[in-house]
Amino acid sequence: MDEIALINSAQKGDLDSFNTLILHYQDSVFNTALRILGDDDQAQDATQEAFISAFQSIKSFRGGSFKAWLMRTVTNACYDELRRQKRKPTIPLEPETNDGDEIDSPKWLADKNMTPAQKAEADELEHAIQHCLDDLPNEFRTVVVLADIQGMDYSEVAIASKVPLGTIKSRLARARLRLRECLRSFEELLPASFRLHTEKAK
Amino acid sequence: MKNFRDIENLSALLDEQLNESESKRLKARLESDRELDSVSNDLSFVRNLLHLLPKRKSPKNFTLTRQMVGLKPPLPKTYPFFRLATVFATLLFVFTFSVNALSPFVSFNAPQFSFGIGGGGGGAGAPAVQEAPATEEALMQESAPAEAMPESTEVTRIAAEETPTQKEIETPSQDSVDGYQNQPQVENEALFSSNLIFTFLIISILGAISMFVIRQNAKRKWQ
Repeated sequence: MDEIALINSAQKGDLDSFNTLILHYQDSVFNTALRILGDDDQAQDATQEAFISAFQSIKSFRGGSFKAWLMRTVTNACYDELRRQKRKPTIPLEPETNDGDEIDSPKWLADKNMTPAQKAEADELEHAIQHCLDDLPNEFRTVVVLADIQGMDYSEVAIASKVPLGTIKSRLARARLRLRECLRSFEELLPASFRLHTEKAK
Repeated sequence: MKNFRDIENLSALLDEQLNESESKRLKARLESDRELDSVSNDLSFVRNLLHLLPKRKSPKNFTLTRQMVGLKPPLPKTYPFFRLATVFATLLFVFTFSVNALSPFVSFNAPQFSFGIGGGGGGAGAPAVQEAPATEEALMQESAPAEAMPESTEVTRIAAEETPTQKEIETPSQDSVDGYQNQPQVENEALFSSNLIFTFLIISILGAISMFVIRQNAKRKWQ
């Protein structure tokens, strides 16, 4: 795939060229949205919004890493979605007791101090990690997703997040420490090699 | 607890984002400092765990359609010509039609008469018929020398016969009266012929239809 030629054509309004770029990057973009938003449907919406927005503003792309530029678009779409959620929060179905009374705090769904039995039931490792990611502040989560999940280098993450390189370095370190703390409560879900490591660390 | 600068550097070391000299220095410290090594292990643990997260395949194709991005079909080069012609014809139609519709209410010729041959007559609002006596006076002045001439020659006699007498001038013939009475009716006639207006209307309609057909064809071809 000649990325530069496709970008040039797309900048001239050729939608087919842009669609070729979409097919190449859609998995990365969707995964980024999924990890930032933590919800499949919202991630799909944000991905679609990001691609529409990217096509409409592709003339502003002045070279460099196209992936980083695309990730900035999807990050913005995710932030828009998160802001929308904040403005119009959805009301979750609150769990009820056998008598039909609502349990006071439905926060049990995201409680870090789950019982071992609940933890065992809590799907898989992926859900545990996503749970910990969701606990991070947005800007920390974005940096972790871009650097550790998408494997982008610091300069690309800086372009995608529109923050200086030093800030990326700092946010990533802080985010990793917070994740470490969170993941301690899911030790039994971790693969054997990781569990050994955590025991050793104790 | 290590200072945060060290943790930042450890995190960057894992990502190979430190320069060579900093890397060497930090690696040397890691060998001697157990606490620093433990923090490094923690950071590495998280980093490796995040790499384990499965990469999901996108559940659908996110390719865009032209409708989604609001692209319009490319129109042929003749389209601007039709558009210009239609707009121009429509403007002309509206102008000519409006002028004709308004002409009975506005007397366009009145100012012209007030400054006409009769000179100094009525104002702008004066009816044109009142200008007739001034014209008669002019005719009388022209005919006076003819009456004064002796009737010696046949030519002058014929000329005298053809020249209207004072009586004839004072009592104008029925034809001339009719002519004066007709004058205002001529002024109120439409300024633009109905054929012209109709032509503009036809051009406007045909232009609009052509534009519509061109757009539909372009859209069909595009899809």
